[in-house]
Amino acid sequence: MHRRGDIWTGVTGVAFALLAVLLIIPLGRLLWASLLGDDGGFTLKHYREFLAYPYYSRTIGHSFLVSGLVTLAALVVAVPVALLLARVDIPGKAVLKSLAILPLVSPPFIGAYSWILLFGRAGYVTTLLQKVGITIPTVYGMHGIVLALTLNLYPFVLLMVAGALQALDQSLEEAAQGLGSSPWRVFWTVTVPVTMPSVLGGALLVFLTAFADFGAPMIIGEGYLVLPTIVYSLFVNEMGGNPAMASTGATLLVVCTTAILLVQYWAVGRKRYAMTQLRPVPPVRPRPFVRGLLTGYASLVIGLSLVPAFVVAVTSFFESRGPVLYPNFSLGNYREVLFNVPRAITNSFALSSVSSLLDVLLGTLIAYLVVRRRSVATAALDSCVMIPYAIPGTVIGVAFIVAFNKPPIVLTGTFLILLLAYFVRRLPYSVRAGSAILHQIDPSVEEASISLGVSPLKSFAKVTARLMLPGIVSGGILTWVQTITEISATIFLYFGAWSTITVVIYRQVSSSNFGSAAAASTILLVAVFIPVLAVNWMMGERAVTAV
Amino acid sequence: MSTILTIEKVRKRYAEVEALAEVSLAVQGGEFFTLLGPSGCGKTTLLRCVAGFLRPDAGRILCNGERLDTLPAHLRDIGMVFQNYAIFPHLTVFENVAYGLRARRVPPAELRQRAIEALRLVQMEPLANRSPDQLSGGQQQRVALARAMAIRPRLLLMDEPLSNLDAKLRVEMRTEIRRLQRELGITTIYVTHDQEEALAISERLAVMNAGRVEQVGFPWDVYQAPTSAFVAQFIGASNALTGSLTGPDGGWVGVDVGGGWILRARPAEGLAGRVLVVFRPEAVELLPEGGNIPGATLGEGVVASREFLGAILRYYLRLADGSLIHLDEHKPDPTGLRKEGERVRFAVRPADVMLFPAEG
Ligand SMILES: Nc1ncnc2c1ncn2[C@@H]1O[C@H](COP(=O)(O)OP(=O)(O)O)[C@@H](O)[C@H]1O
Ligand SMILES: [Mg+2]
Repeated sequence: MHRRGDIWTGVTGVAFALLAVLLIIPLGRLLWASLLGDDGGFTLKHYREFLAYPYYSRTIGHSFLVSGLVTLAALVVAVPVALLLARVDIPGKAVLKSLAILPLVSPPFIGAYSWILLFGRAGYVTTLLQKVGITIPTVYGMHGIVLALTLNLYPFVLLMVAGALQALDQSLEEAAQGLGSSPWRVFWTVTVPVTMPSVLGGALLVFLTAFADFGAPMIIGEGYLVLPTIVYSLFVNEMGGNPAMASTGATLLVVCTTAILLVQYWAVGRKRYAMTQLRPVPPVRPRPFVRGLLTGYASLVIGLSLVPAFVVAVTSFFESRGPVLYPNFSLGNYREVLFNVPRAITNSFALSSVSSLLDVLLGTLIAYLVVRRRSVATAALDSCVMIPYAIPGTVIGVAFIVAFNKPPIVLTGTFLILLLAYFVRRLPYSVRAGSAILHQIDPSVEEASISLGVSPLKSFAKVTARLMLPGIVSGGILTWVQTITEISATIFLYFGAWSTITVVIYRQVSSSNFGSAAAASTILLVAVFIPVLAVNWMMGERAVTAV
Repeated sequence: MSTILTIEKVRKRYAEVEALAEVSLAVQGGEFFTLLGPSGCGKTTLLRCVAGFLRPDAGRILCNGERLDTLPAHLRDIGMVFQNYAIFPHLTVFENVAYGLRARRVPPAELRQRAIEALRLVQMEPLANRSPDQLSGGQQQRVALARAMAIRPRLLLMDEPLSNLDAKLRVEMRTEIRRLQRELGITTIYVTHDQEEALAISERLAVMNAGRVEQVGFPWDVYQAPTSAFVAQFIGASNALTGSLTGPDGGWVGVDVGGGWILRARPAEGLAGRVLVVFRPEAVELLPEGGNIPGATLGEGVVASREFLGAILRYYLRLADGSLIHLDEHKPDPTGLRKEGERVRFAVRPADVMLFPAEG
């Protein structure tokens, strides 16, 4: 029955109101701040200035260059391994695939930090080589960013392409062969075109994520500034900061990411080939020697991306004095972290738990509205709720400060501003996760419950929500994982007592307290890896799409 | 028997499609009533209006004289069997069947007994503790049926419940559904697009087309005396030719169907000029050499092709003007088979030839 004013109308209203307050107002204020002259009138001078001074303008080029290189490198690294995992009989394939998810959920700034531990000025490898008289170029700057981000992000391509290759039905390639094509021709005329959307989709996802990343360039970039880091340095400038220029940079950043997303829609939007996979192509089993070689290669690539986690974990147990580490076992770093900044750890857990819970709750309800109660309003909601997807954390950070540091809504300096920023950033993912599950549940199951005499709302709870539960839980855990590793918005919004574990890591690295940074990083990685591996084990292959 | 469900001038429109133009029906208590029609004619829409999942744009739906269409779906006390069964995957077979009873707060002892009884009726009692994913399609169908019957609804609705089953099981299940319905006396509205199924199972049926009810009646009447060209062609196999009336011919009327061939037909009122001529394959009989059937229209054609269908042999004949008709020979005589390309003579009984206004 369509009764006016039922609970779902209320949910729609609340969702729109939240999006207006948390997105439209901040983004509007951000734009306004970038267009406001000193005299209080409209001006384009900040944009002119940003684009005229190379110190600012080159960061745009840097961002595109870094993201482009990361994407290329990720393709080169990931595609061969994807082919191996999908088409060759390699022992321990499932384990390799689970491990490949871990880099995706580790924050890039921890990766960057660990490459500094290895190859930085006082890095383990650097000093080791110096002892035997070899000097290597330092890891700081563009190549360091590219290295760190590539090893963090290539699994996007790996998992998407491997998935597409496995979804390819054997009959398709057989049909081509039956039509007289050689295996090589089949590969180029069938396999490649059909998996191309996934390659492209993975590549653009890597590009977008690299473009929006703040942590890695901040830690390892040093003088090499990209858009998110220039925005941050404009904001916290020693001279008191320049909100107008920071807003201008942030606006340009969001323009770029939106453009990238539009390219993504245009390039891959409709070209997904829906495969009802009946028989995946059976993996080939090469001679033992070749098989060993290929297994070794796949393990090497995936192992390389786990090096940062390993290095950080080992370092955390070293004795430390500032940037100097001694290879003696010690729990000193953990003692320091747990005694000096226990609040940051509890903050991180509490904030990400509450915001993920809110995301899951509202995300599930919105997903239900969008999938099951289609109307003009819910279609609009569906589009609006996806907006945060295009907005880098840096932009959310600046926009929230600009919007909420003066009446009518003052949130700066409270935990609420962090909570709301986390909530709105991850909301699109929760809605997507929820609607993906809903599409697999037949609407008539809920109707069956209604026809048996259970009210619509109770039927939703007893049947649909209940059936969504496993998916909701794993989606919620992934949201939690992404939230607790958040740095790019947090760095703008945290204040005093409301520091988080990511902020602690960042500050300890900046002040060269490498020991406690390693301990805090290890705590964070353990907190993230365990639930992710649990979800992966629970959901099997589907976890990949969820990430 | 008295009318239990009355549908009065119900209309329903989706954005661009008029799904129900104006539908009125009356279903008798205890009756097995079928909505039959081609896919997209509005059967599901009508059923969902009755169930309460859709609100009609206009018209009323009454049950025992009370308004039904103003009642929320969960208070209507109507059992429903869905095309895809809609079994609750997270509940056991028993809990699926008990679901509606729990909603009605039936005391535990009675609940158990009623659920088991419903499962016994569909022969699913031994599988009561199974989880639905361990059931075959046919078994899930039985659970869906037991679940809907357990609440003893005043009305049972079924939307193409057999369409996901294979042909043999479909026939078995329809017999069983009918047996159960008779035993329990539940008023049932059954939706199908399969005319053979509808004829076999229904007490009465309504033939629907493009959002309208074309004809309501007993299967035999609807087959024998279709009131529209659509019904005549949708139900059973039929031959359709166009022609023009030539005038009375004995007790019959003559129709020129082309090539100078005048076919005698049942007189129909209000027809003039161009008409549609419809007759069933069993109205046509092949004649032996020199044979004749008094009173029948004789014709000539060439065997275009033939199909062996087990109990019958179907011949397709090409007539002089190029049109094609078919006829069925029951218990075909292997020695008297006609070959493709052979010229044959046949007779059409005028009493079995129906006339309708020519379309367009
Ligand atoms: N939700 C809907 N939105 C728009 N059109 C619909 C919807 N549901 C059904 N229709 C249209 O209404 C007509 C009747 O549909 P339906 O009642 O499902 O037919 P049937 O069950 O007889 O196959 C069809 O033309 C169908 O396309
Ligand atoms: Mg239907």
